[in-house]
Amino acid sequence: MTPLGVETAVRNCAGVSDQGRATRETEDALIAKILSGQREFFMALVRPYQRTVYAMALSSSRNKEDAEDIVQSALLKALSRLSQFRRESMFGTWLVQITINEVRMRRRKDRRIEMFSLGHTPEDKTNYVPKDFQDWREIPSEALERIEIRETLLKALASIAERYREAFVLRDVHDLSIADTATILGISRGAVKTRLHRARLMLREILAPGLSENGRLAWSAREVQKPWE
Amino acid sequence: MGISCEEVWHDLSDYIDGELNSNQHALFDAHFAGCPHCRAVLDGARNVIHLYRDERVLAMPAAVEERLQETLREHTRSPRRSFLAWGLAAAAALPLAFGLFSILPRLKRRSSSPQRDVPPGTGLVAVSQDEKIKVFHIAGCAKLEGKPKFISVEEALHDGYTPCPYCIGKARQEKNG
Repeated sequence: MTPLGVETAVRNCAGVSDQGRATRETEDALIAKILSGQREFFMALVRPYQRTVYAMALSSSRNKEDAEDIVQSALLKALSRLSQFRRESMFGTWLVQITINEVRMRRRKDRRIEMFSLGHTPEDKTNYVPKDFQDWREIPSEALERIEIRETLLKALASIAERYREAFVLRDVHDLSIADTATILGISRGAVKTRLHRARLMLREILAPGLSENGRLAWSAREVQKPWE
Repeated sequence: MGISCEEVWHDLSDYIDGELNSNQHALFDAHFAGCPHCRAVLDGARNVIHLYRDERVLAMPAAVEERLQETLREHTRSPRRSFLAWGLAAAAALPLAFGLFSILPRLKRRSSSPQRDVPPGTGLVAVSQDEKIKVFHIAGCAKLEGKPKFISVEEALHDGYTPCPYCIGKARQEKNG
């Protein structure tokens, strides 16, 4: 079956829209097809999770090539171990767990990255005191069109300790629930909330003073908006 | 009675995630109304979430996605074709491999290059870790170049290795005396 044919078949038989995330039933149907030998459906199965997998890899790697390598390894491992997937969780949860394991395994091989991480403080949110109170009310959504700003966000994320970054990516980038994040990371809900809290506040402190490396930021006034108000 | 800045910093994430009860939430709202510092921290934390949730941030570049799709396509081709190809190769190579094994002990004795020898008693063949051509050899084969690695015949066949023609010729000669 051609790739286009696969996409059409997936949409027709399982009701997946381009934007929508596959439902559990959709995933089960795809997994059944793959395990019966129609392995070309694997691409449709993993597509909704590509961004999370890539984000997890990219924010934990030294460069984009390493991230690409991690993503590829994680997806191929998922493909080769698909028959071992027990359906106790969503496929995405299982896939992200494989990715996290891949990231951790590579990190163990290369301890140098850890030296640059911030936030190796005891896991306790009671001792947090903001280091500055810079007013950062304005948010420039259009600014994200600029590559240097996206790079700055990536650098900031990569600079915080792994345990905070993992919780942040799952909860705030991928929009998983606290419970699902806890399941993936194998920690309690309380620990997820604590790590998330620290991650958000550390990133605020890194980014609030300005996104340019040498000082001032400068969001342009016409880019300003506050989407939650 | 209001709440302190420290209490706000402690539970700020819970406030953002809607994890506080309505009374607590109201206390936070009242605090933010009168405390510009805590309001700045709240706005900053919300900005962070909003920015990173944007699809453009941490998005997979098109070139990376293309390469990934290509890799997945290679690995998800219909298994029937690859099984057939592997099966034919195995069918052709197995008699040769077993022929080689029948004279393996004699060849081992004649080997003059210890580092190329198959570990005794293991029933393994040697493949080169440096050569690009996928050929497997028996002990002492002069055609084996580079650093040898020892694997079973089954593994060698499964991984796409074929027997070394030189070894086959040698084996035939040995067999015929």
